[in-house]
Amino acid sequence: MGNPRSSKAIPVRVLLAGLLLCACAPSHAGWFGSDKQPIPQWGLDAYKTHTPDYAKDAAAVILFDEYVETVDDQGRAVERERIVKRILKPQGRRDAACGVSYDVDEKVNYFHAWTIAADEKQYQAQDTDFVDVGNTGIPIMLSTRKARVVHPPAADVGAVVICESEELLEPYLQETVWGIQTSIPFVFQALEVDLPAGRTHSEAWHRFPPVKPVEVAPNHWRWEIKDMPALDLRELRSGPEWQALAARMSVQWGDAAVEGKDNQWRAIGQWVTNLEANRPDPSPEITSQTQSLIAGAPDFYAKLSRITEYIQKNVRYFIVMRGIGGLQANHAADIYRNRYGDCKDKTTLLISMLQVAGIHAFYMPVDDHRDIVDPDAPSLEGNHMITAIEIPADVQDPRLKAIAKARDGKRYLIFDPTNQRTPVGNLPYYEQGSYGILATGASSQIIALPVLEPDTSIKDSKGAFTLTADGTLTGSVDTSQTGSAGANIRYLIKDTDEKERREYWERVVAETLPGVTLDSFEFVEPSALDKPIELHYKVTARQYSHQAGPLVLVRPRVLGTDARPFDDKPRIYPIDLNATGRWRDSFDIAIPPGYAVDETPDPVSLDLDFASYHSSVSAKGNLLHYEREYVVRQVELPAARASDFRHLESVILSDEKNAAVLKKQ
Amino acid sequence: MRIPAMVRIFLLLLAVASPALLRAQFQQPTGEELAMTADPKAPGAAAVYLNIEEITNDQQHIHSYYARIKVLTEKGKELATVELPYIQGKTMITDIKARTIHSDGTVIPLSGKPEDLLIVKTLSKDGDPLQVSQKVFTLPSVEVGSILEYRFEIRYDENLYSSPFWEIQRSYFIHQAHYAFTPFKAFMNGSHNATSSYLLDKHMNAVSTLIWRTILPAGLAVKVDFIGRYSLDLTDIPPKPEEEWMPPVESILYKVYFYYSSSSNQSNFWVSETKYWSKDVDRFAEPTGPIKQAVAALIAPGDSDLDKAKKLYTAVQNLDNTNFSRKKSEAELKQLKLKAAKRAEDTWAQKSGSSQDIALLYLAMLRAAGLTAYDMKVADRSERVFDPSYLNFDQLDDDLVTVIIGGKEIFLDPGEKMCPFQTVHWKHSGATGIRQGTDGRSFLTSPPQAYIDNKIVRTGEIALDAHGAVTGNIRFVMTGQEALHWRQTALRNDLDEVKKQFDHSLEPIVPEGVETHVDHFLGLDNPDVNLIAIVNVHGTLGAATSKRLLLPGFFFETRSGHPFINEEKRLVPVDMQFGDQVSDQIVYRLPAGFTVEGQPQDTKIPWQGHAVLVNTFKAEPDQITVTRTLARAFTFAKPEEYQDLRGFYQKIAAADQQQLVLTRTPVAQGN
Repeated sequence: MGNPRSSKAIPVRVLLAGLLLCACAPSHAGWFGSDKQPIPQWGLDAYKTHTPDYAKDAAAVILFDEYVETVDDQGRAVERERIVKRILKPQGRRDAACGVSYDVDEKVNYFHAWTIAADEKQYQAQDTDFVDVGNTGIPIMLSTRKARVVHPPAADVGAVVICESEELLEPYLQETVWGIQTSIPFVFQALEVDLPAGRTHSEAWHRFPPVKPVEVAPNHWRWEIKDMPALDLRELRSGPEWQALAARMSVQWGDAAVEGKDNQWRAIGQWVTNLEANRPDPSPEITSQTQSLIAGAPDFYAKLSRITEYIQKNVRYFIVMRGIGGLQANHAADIYRNRYGDCKDKTTLLISMLQVAGIHAFYMPVDDHRDIVDPDAPSLEGNHMITAIEIPADVQDPRLKAIAKARDGKRYLIFDPTNQRTPVGNLPYYEQGSYGILATGASSQIIALPVLEPDTSIKDSKGAFTLTADGTLTGSVDTSQTGSAGANIRYLIKDTDEKERREYWERVVAETLPGVTLDSFEFVEPSALDKPIELHYKVTARQYSHQAGPLVLVRPRVLGTDARPFDDKPRIYPIDLNATGRWRDSFDIAIPPGYAVDETPDPVSLDLDFASYHSSVSAKGNLLHYEREYVVRQVELPAARASDFRHLESVILSDEKNAAVLKKQ
Repeated sequence: MRIPAMVRIFLLLLAVASPALLRAQFQQPTGEELAMTADPKAPGAAAVYLNIEEITNDQQHIHSYYARIKVLTEKGKELATVELPYIQGKTMITDIKARTIHSDGTVIPLSGKPEDLLIVKTLSKDGDPLQVSQKVFTLPSVEVGSILEYRFEIRYDENLYSSPFWEIQRSYFIHQAHYAFTPFKAFMNGSHNATSSYLLDKHMNAVSTLIWRTILPAGLAVKVDFIGRYSLDLTDIPPKPEEEWMPPVESILYKVYFYYSSSSNQSNFWVSETKYWSKDVDRFAEPTGPIKQAVAALIAPGDSDLDKAKKLYTAVQNLDNTNFSRKKSEAELKQLKLKAAKRAEDTWAQKSGSSQDIALLYLAMLRAAGLTAYDMKVADRSERVFDPSYLNFDQLDDDLVTVIIGGKEIFLDPGEKMCPFQTVHWKHSGATGIRQGTDGRSFLTSPPQAYIDNKIVRTGEIALDAHGAVTGNIRFVMTGQEALHWRQTALRNDLDEVKKQFDHSLEPIVPEGVETHVDHFLGLDNPDVNLIAIVNVHGTLGAATSKRLLLPGFFFETRSGHPFINEEKRLVPVDMQFGDQVSDQIVYRLPAGFTVEGQPQDTKIPWQGHAVLVNTFKAEPDQITVTRTLARAFTFAKPEEYQDLRGFYQKIAAADQQQLVLTRTPVAQGN
């Protein structure tokens, strides 16, 4: 599904695409900048703001940013934004543009921009400084969303840009998401929500302490925030998604404007339930197809997996975002007929087919990155839809691993039909440890998605190599992968042709085995997604061992790496471990005749609560044997565990670099 | 009736879309096509085009397209979505018909209306609205094994005429392609050319000739029938090549371009176009009074010609170059009561201009100083290769200036800010274009880069402890293109950002476990000196065992990012942009109690006449000095030279993985 209409969240993405386009295609829109207007007083006032010390290293700084949402009796809002920013550095020129994102159900009422240059000359943007750009850059997406962008004149270092716009927002969303942190700092920002008499509101804060609003007029609320630092994560290693760490606030004025987070989540879930009501109604063709699929299925899992695999394999992923279509699915009958759809469409068809099979399933809005859906910040914020499948009380099947329990004790299997390669029962690693809205009407709730045991994602690699006296290593590697690890390989096969696969795999192997030639490779991909996928390949690496005087150095860990990026900087953000799993390597190297092993690296053994790493090197006869096992049990660590994480990673890195020393007999 | 020739821009846009047309009806697939699961002519391909047809009837103002595609793998399903860009108001996309045929023969037609999506809407300089949109449709029920079939037409105004550009190679293999073109009546034969209309080009000259330019497989040519219709049939067209270090790919793809031209042939076209261009240049670069006055203030009467050229070069380089800062918008110019520069004196007066404005200002100044100087228009080699048979002056992107000093022609790149005198940006070196001259014009190629002019020298001292921990610093000395790159980066970013980007550029080349951060730069704002970066190093290098410390022989080569290692065959020439020389001298200070037990041998790996790698190791009691120099004198290599090239890089890759072994000296035992 598309993001909720978050007036500050969606535009960021759309604008990014827009700004890129604008770089090569300036100008537009006859009725937006042509009226000669003096710089408004609020702009002149903000212009006088001094650049604070904390912003001096930033490319630009937002001196003033104010949103006013004026809500009518039907709950539809008109949004006015006034923004003033100062360009501080040459690269800050790219922050000078202002934009408004709009879709088919929205209208930009006006849009003006001015600049006060470093020499204090004043300019107003003219028609030719505006451009409208579509959201057309993604080949698998059809989107009607657009952005109107202005490139204010004279927007150079030292200049202050002042923009004001007003937009009639879409009628179906009664929430705004206020992005209060960006890649440049804010000196002052405010949000006003002006509600009709009798309407209530609720608010939620993500990664920022709540700010009390002031009632500036009857039922007209204003929040103010000063001195918000920029969020720059470019140097952060193994960190969560930017959006997960950026502070934001959301205000509800519809059904979710109620007391208590549980009630708010319930209302949001109810809204989703209502929005998608009847969409999954099965057509005769769906009924017939489902019945044929489940005929003779011996148990719940068999029924389920036949249906999920059918959708995973037969419904092509294609995003359709047309107004409310960014949130609301197509009808199941249309999805089935076209055999394409986006995440909410796939969920719809799945719910429909499961309904035919007598299995209850529900919509579950999520984000495809962890920590963006925040249980403490009820909101529609998120970019994805998955499915919660109710597990009958009498079904106890170990193959159903991704289970979440609702407050009423009901068990739900969490499944992502959009991920075409993760089998039912399992869950893509990027959704584990996250949160989703269980949209079950009046009993809707926020629910934690499970973190699966390491053994749900296993990779085994076995290699047998021969080293010749001239240093050439030849050999074969056999790998087997299940769960999330296997799904990644299946995706590689799906998204590439044979030439691309070969090139990709050569690159992957060469990252840890420089100069390697891939002599052959073969993927063995069983049709059933819950069966391991195998990869068998043969390699030749010239000069693998290195002569150093009388010695020959050989790295027993021939290929592959388990190390994640890390550094020794103080840590304030959580550490993203990516995925749980178990990775095992076992490599044998036959050393050349006439040589003996003089020294091998010491074994490594490290056990932590969130991960463990064990490796050993042994020599027997002419065989040098290396084996290791790396286990990850959690997907995220708090920043306070940084030293443990660093220790783990330095141990892995050191082990991976170790060499055995051979001596000529 | 006077009918202007059509602006051809929409065809260029259409070339972005990959589709193509049909004569009349969809085809019945053969049993063999339906059953096909792989294509022996395109092993491993995700999809193949069974048919492509593109038919232009310029008398009816219609371009028709047809495509039939066999989907062979999941990835091939991406061809189910078709995007058709067009310019609103000038063109219309009509008669879109499409269907999916399953391998069992079931036909699923496209239902519903294609979406009409905005790409960009803007105003032209003249205030005219310009909107580019696209029709988008996605075929239903696509499976691996499906045949996708679609057709559509592009119709354009009755007073517009358009000759086609046939872009033949696609991302996927094509079995059969058919192209046809019925030109404007005046270019037909016999009685078919009866018309009272005629075309005018952009210079308002009567269009009298139909010219076509081809890049086609050997033995193939465009056919013309007796009434003057053109056609081309091809089979088994390979997909677009995708190889590392390719020249701009458009320059090598199969294509046919037709032109309505006022020139009778290719040579006349360039004579005519160059005349217009040269006249414009001379008008802009006229050494008017203000220019002469400015030049007089910049040079001294006793200056040599070379000194004059240098001083003027420095003066124009110091101006605000808006290609590296910010272009003033129309509105801004209006509010400042400034005009877009029409003469060199405008650029000088505004102390600001585009790269082209500044190049032509320099030309004007050289001429004002009495030197013989010319403008040279070249293709940007990062974008394209100049092709004289492609009759489009716009393929020449940028301006160099040449000046004759002491009978020798010097090539200068004043529009590239921070480019030292007598250095040109690599994208303008070895670049063919057109130069003004006493004889009017000539095709010319700018000199290639000498590898010795593009040097990086990295020298450093790294202290090791007994566990492999390292600290130290490395000095990068850069000349030529590398220095130019970082100086131009500094024009668009502040110093902190340049440092971050420099650090980022080092990450892929320093050993794992080692961090490098630039401490400071020297000469970042002065193109006439070496650019120096001082880089701090710390972290853990190599691996320690109970008896030994193992170190990578070459600090910067442990991750071995050498090209061509894995690519066994080569279809297209290699273009490595410019030659260069990278030299390292790293001194490892050994920890107390360690001696060198093993070190690689000195190595020299030549590729005769093209490149050479030289490594040396010098062990002393408390340190070892490692040197490595890779001189790459070549920029281009032909496909037939590829095996030598690859062999050279394979040897380098192997040599770069050598290691140093340090041994702990046994401590004397007491009694």
